[in-house]
This record gives sequence, C-alpha cells and structure tokens, in this order.
Amino acid sequence: MSRPLSKLLFKGISGFPAACSSKIVSGSFYQNGMRYSTSVPNDSDTHDDFKPANKFDGSGLSLKELVEQDVKDNPVMLYMKGVPEVPQCGFSSLAVRVLKQYAVPLSARNILEDPELKTAVKAFSHWPTFPQIFIKGEFIGGSDIILNMHQSGELKEKLKDIAVNQEKSA
Amino acid sequence: MGSRGGAKVLQLSRASRMRTKLQTALEASVLEIEDVSHQHAGHAAMRANANNKDGETHFNLKVVSPKFEGQSLVKRHRMVYDALADELQSGLHALSIVAKTPQEIGPK
Repeated sequence: MSRPLSKLLFKGISGFPAACSSKIVSGSFYQNGMRYSTSVPNDSDTHDDFKPANKFDGSGLSLKELVEQDVKDNPVMLYMKGVPEVPQCGFSSLAVRVLKQYAVPLSARNILEDPELKTAVKAFSHWPTFPQIFIKGEFIGGSDIILNMHQSGELKEKLKDIAVNQEKSA
Repeated sequence: MGSRGGAKVLQLSRASRMRTKLQTALEASVLEIEDVSHQHAGHAAMRANANNKDGETHFNLKVVSPKFEGQSLVKRHRMVYDALADELQSGLHALSIVAKTPQEIGPK
C-alpha cells in the first residue's frame, strides 16, 4: 500500500517545475528539535511516529475543534501543502525555510491530503490561501508575512519565549 | 464602457479584473500585477483543475495604498484578499503580496 503511493509521490514531484519543486533538504529534522504531524490516513503500515498527533477519526472532534486544538496546543502550527521535508509548493516551502531558522518546535498538517480540513482551516482564519501560520494561537498570515517578519526581526521577538521554553524542557 | 459588448467583457483577463477591483477598493497609487502562473504550471492543484489550464492562477502584486496606513500586514493582506474574493472563488490560487503605504515607499 505505502510503496506504490510513495512511488507516485516521487514521480509527481520530479515533474514539478522550479517554483513548486523547491524541496527542503533536511537530514537533521528531528535533531533540530522539530516535530510535525500530518493528516496521513490511518494506514496500518504507518509507523506511530508518523501518525497525526491529534487523530480526528473517532475522536469526536469536529474539524473546527481540531483546528482550534491544533493552534492552542502547538506554539507554532503550520497548515501547508505537503510536509515540512517535502513541501509541495514554493510558498509552503518558503514558510518552512523561514521557521526553520529558529529553534522552535514546528507542527504541521498537510492540507492537500484532506480537502475538508483545508476548508475548515480557511473558515477558521478567514484567509483564502496556504500556507497559514499560527504562533501561540495567533493567526500570523502566509509566507509573505512570515518572511517579512523574519526580515524585520519581529518574528525573532515573537518566538523568543518559545525557543527559551524549549531549552528549559530539553 | 458603454460601447463595450457583453462578449468582450467576458474576455477580460483576470489580471485586468483584478486591477479594476484593487483600484476601486484600495485607491492604489501604485498597482503592479504580474502573472507568474507559468512558474506553477505543474502544481498538483493546478493539474487537478481543468479551469486553470489557461493560467492566471498565481500573481505577484505590489499595492501602494493610503488605506494601508496604521494597518498590520495581516490586515493589509486581508484587504487585498477581500477585494479579490470573487477571483479567489473562481480559480485564482495564490498571491504574493507587497502592501505598502505611500509614506513607506516615499523618498527617505
């Protein structure tokens, strides 16, 4: 099940033009203290580590509640196209690259895998495009805004206490 | 406007509709619209939607508007998205937005 799927995925990616194929090379993803979750279906072949942190099958949570919980529980929550190591669009790739400049835990869901989640996130933030970034429960915006905040130093300020907390708990 | 037939209006490109809508809503003093859809032609979402085969899905925008004064970046982007709500409903997929006030681009 997972084998043909991954083949398909790679075939798809290799066919992407430049703007949407900016893959993020990251051998040290976990070593950076980052974690992520995606809305990968509950495939029995899937290792526990790769299952979503919040399962919404049978959890009784509506998608709206799931999003609320995501942004509340995760200091940096990213709704994106693809996963952090393999973003499937240049804008999502840019957002991940910016956030990876900071030593903060990063949580993400892949909205390409779940059209209903995509709709729920859009309705929650009243924002029409992806990626969407939430920091400490606050809606930040998309890739243009996160890049801008990175360049202005505003993002560093915003993430300061998260990075410190991370060090303390480590 | 009066001499323009219905058929012709339908042929207006998305870019020109966007220009009109942004100009009306934001009274922009600078309005640059660049269609970069070709850079995203192989995009998963683009391949899936037959409506998008003519492009006009991805744009870079530069908008300078006095209405952005005192507004956060998120608010400025929301104002742009609000003005283009219909386009976003009908296949406009992504915008890269530079939103400034006249003061911010003015000579220093």
